[in-house]
Amino acid sequence: MAALAEEQTEVAVKLEPEGPPTLLPPQAGDGAGEGGSGAPNNGPNGGVGSVAVEDQPDVSAVLSAYNQQGDPTMYEEYYSGLKHFIECSLDCHRAELSQLFYPLFVHMYLELVYNQHENEAKSFFEKFHGDQECYYQDDLRVLSSLTKKEHMKGNETMLDFRTSKFVLRISRDSYQLLKRHLQEKQNNQIWNIVQEHLYIDIFDGMPRSKQQIDAMVGSLAGEAKREANKSKVFFGLLKEPEIEVPLDDEDEEGENEEGKPKKKKPKKDSIGSKSKKQDPNAPPQNRIPLPELKDSDKLDKIMNMKETTKRVRLGPDCLPSICFYTFLNAYQGLTAVDVTDDSSLIAGGFADSTVRVWSVTPKKLRSVKQASDLSLIDKESDDVLERIMDEKTASELKILYGHSGPVYGASFSPDRNYLLSSSEDGTVRLWSLQTFTCLVGYKGHNYPVWDTQFSPYGYYFVSGGHDRVARLWATDHYQPLRIFAGHLADVNCTRFHPNSNYVATGSADRTVRLWDVLNGNCVRIFTGHKGPIHSLTFSPNGRFLATGATDGRVLLWDIGHGLMVGELKGHTDTVCSLRFSRDGEILASGSMDNTVRLWDAIKAFEDLETDDFTTATGHINLPENSQELLLGTYMTKSTPVVHLHFTRRNLVLAAGAYSPQ
Amino acid sequence: MESGKMASPKSMPKDAQMMAQILKDMGITEYEPRVINQMLEFAFRYVTTILDDAKIYSSHAKKATVDADDVRLAIQCRADQSFTSPPPRDFLLDIARQRNQTPLPLIKPYSGPRLPPDRYCLTAPNYRLKSLQKKASTPAGRITVPRLSVGSVSSRPSTPTLGTPTPQTMSVSTKVGTPMSLTGQRFTVQMPASQSPAVKASIPATSAVQNVLINPSLIGSKNILITTNMVSQNTTNESSNVLKRKRDDDDDDDDDDDDYDNL
Repeated sequence: MAALAEEQTEVAVKLEPEGPPTLLPPQAGDGAGEGGSGAPNNGPNGGVGSVAVEDQPDVSAVLSAYNQQGDPTMYEEYYSGLKHFIECSLDCHRAELSQLFYPLFVHMYLELVYNQHENEAKSFFEKFHGDQECYYQDDLRVLSSLTKKEHMKGNETMLDFRTSKFVLRISRDSYQLLKRHLQEKQNNQIWNIVQEHLYIDIFDGMPRSKQQIDAMVGSLAGEAKREANKSKVFFGLLKEPEIEVPLDDEDEEGENEEGKPKKKKPKKDSIGSKSKKQDPNAPPQNRIPLPELKDSDKLDKIMNMKETTKRVRLGPDCLPSICFYTFLNAYQGLTAVDVTDDSSLIAGGFADSTVRVWSVTPKKLRSVKQASDLSLIDKESDDVLERIMDEKTASELKILYGHSGPVYGASFSPDRNYLLSSSEDGTVRLWSLQTFTCLVGYKGHNYPVWDTQFSPYGYYFVSGGHDRVARLWATDHYQPLRIFAGHLADVNCTRFHPNSNYVATGSADRTVRLWDVLNGNCVRIFTGHKGPIHSLTFSPNGRFLATGATDGRVLLWDIGHGLMVGELKGHTDTVCSLRFSRDGEILASGSMDNTVRLWDAIKAFEDLETDDFTTATGHINLPENSQELLLGTYMTKSTPVVHLHFTRRNLVLAAGAYSPQ
Repeated sequence: MESGKMASPKSMPKDAQMMAQILKDMGITEYEPRVINQMLEFAFRYVTTILDDAKIYSSHAKKATVDADDVRLAIQCRADQSFTSPPPRDFLLDIARQRNQTPLPLIKPYSGPRLPPDRYCLTAPNYRLKSLQKKASTPAGRITVPRLSVGSVSSRPSTPTLGTPTPQTMSVSTKVGTPMSLTGQRFTVQMPASQSPAVKASIPATSAVQNVLINPSLIGSKNILITTNMVSQNTTNESSNVLKRKRDDDDDDDDDDDDYDNL
């Protein structure tokens, strides 16, 4: 929502001047005015070769492709003509051809505005904007405020809409019908627009029904081309390293935590390495460099395994308990929450630019002693990790100061040594949880950074912000390692895949993209949400992705096939947090409508229809089973649920700030 | 905050009504009542800035009145400064392509906390201890020592405001009344990190003012101004705030140049 508000302010207030004069004046009735006129035009920033941020030449080039191609007063007639044709066509084709309305409407309107036919543009808009689908209304509102040519230059989203072709998926039969109709008429105006601005992905087969189409459309650039979702994705998990765990017959804890092998043959770590064969869907171990395991990491893993044995198996008849952490007196200032994997610490990012860390367990937070004191302790003692802590600094809460704007993202490192926070000031800060001071500020986004997350193995982290890109960083590089560019609007949410080889980003352009860390390519594009996406989560087995947006729906995606496999309706407001249980049996979703809902994930993913036709065309038939999948709805007292977390034993922790209305 | 809490539309001034209408047109239905005021303030500030700039441009071009071209130029210049928008998409795709070509760097094993080179981190101390004397070795803990230099009697009565001088200095301070004795004096006072620079009458007795060394100096009848330096705000400073003695001959000659009048 923040992104949209920004857009609107930008449009309402900005009075953009005319840029460098275009070389060709608009000529009425001349069909020749193409995009070439803008190219040699050098903007105020000097030569064409400069990589100035304000690419004025490109903007003019881009916009001058809207040069007059038809009589402005006839636009309404063209559009009505097309409308009439489509409404009279056969039922089976009508749904598909109706997809044309929205992109055509926008492009024709923008053409009128660019050529400064303000009155015609206004009347065109008035007449036809009500016909568009309801999920485009937000975009139309923004469009309605663009009435002059100067407005267009500053609006990045509209420029991106223009440069990226709107993708439509139409069956061959419907396409032939449309082509024949448009070409037989004398005026080729609409046909020109279709050819220039739209990309029609033709498939062979049955035309889709309205329901199928509605499920997939909604993004700013139409749907995704089929080739976009064809590349191979390694969605399997990496093999867990083999750690020798001592055999203890009586479930005693705290004894041989160092994993010293006993006389009996120690039990090997059995998570994930049940078969010696390489999972064909898993990436090779060294596909991307990952940090090696330290001793402390091995200890953590052993603790993890011990907790796993005590884990509650969840299911429709065994629902988890939910423990809710309410932030009081936050005055709507709570903007980010994260919980460590072992559920010992909670961090909150606030609008007053502080990050606060609380200890959830009775163990207090301590910082490391000063250097002079550290030299005095015995380094060989067993409890050296306890001795380096300064008792005088023990407290339940630590406040971290440093940001100069609201903190929108927080993420603990898996080894609990670091905390990341991303803020509106454009930086991502790395804090040490041993000294509770800031170590590094990563500058790269120059605009608000909406989300950040550490990789499941540590060392790498990803951040996404208002500048429409997500960046991959490593803690020891001050510049990003990868830049994931391609979204048309702000990147709201960034998550790593459990095998750390892929990053998913959800954006305000209503698409979710999956990026490959190795080479920065976009390997999947998922469209279907009707509002900006605010939450993402991967299933623990790495095969599925769940996304939540402002439209209140949770969509489930199969990463391997690149298809939508489920839709969970029920929330009435933005779904701002999602989490799968530790073994993937339950999906918990938290929303701004003050509820937590639990869904049956196993049932949602079973019997998937992935026959050849579906895979080839990307069409799905979603069953209307949201009601069956809903296992429970839990209301809070006017507290939006900002974060969800499953402990290692499958207890749900939820967090939110009490906001009385 | 529902819009029902706002003043009824009829009693709002016309421009507030207009702003409410704009918000409604843009689809914003829930907002705090103060938003309208903030938007109005912003609009006012923006328009006046533009028109001021336009007036300047117009007078520079020696025109009689401000016309549309001046306003257009003013808008363009301001827009480049304040309303920056993120880079365009093709630029981003280009730099992404360049950046994504380099392979991921290998990770060095056993390297401790993996942080960027020190100059890119925030771990360096952002304060510097001023060494006070050559004899005593500067201790490991570093603190800034603010300096008070005594001003002429006419400008400031000084010593009584310095808090609890030690007995050693007490005798000296009583002599401060005369200009002659003043000039020979120079002393430093330790200020606790959290205190404001308004030193004059506000030094609490429990402050870290511990030692005041008065130095009969070679300076003669120079008038020296009492000033204080701001202590750096480093909060890790709270330990080890021991005042250092300062000898005049150790001072740099530019001491007198640091005449910041922070009082």
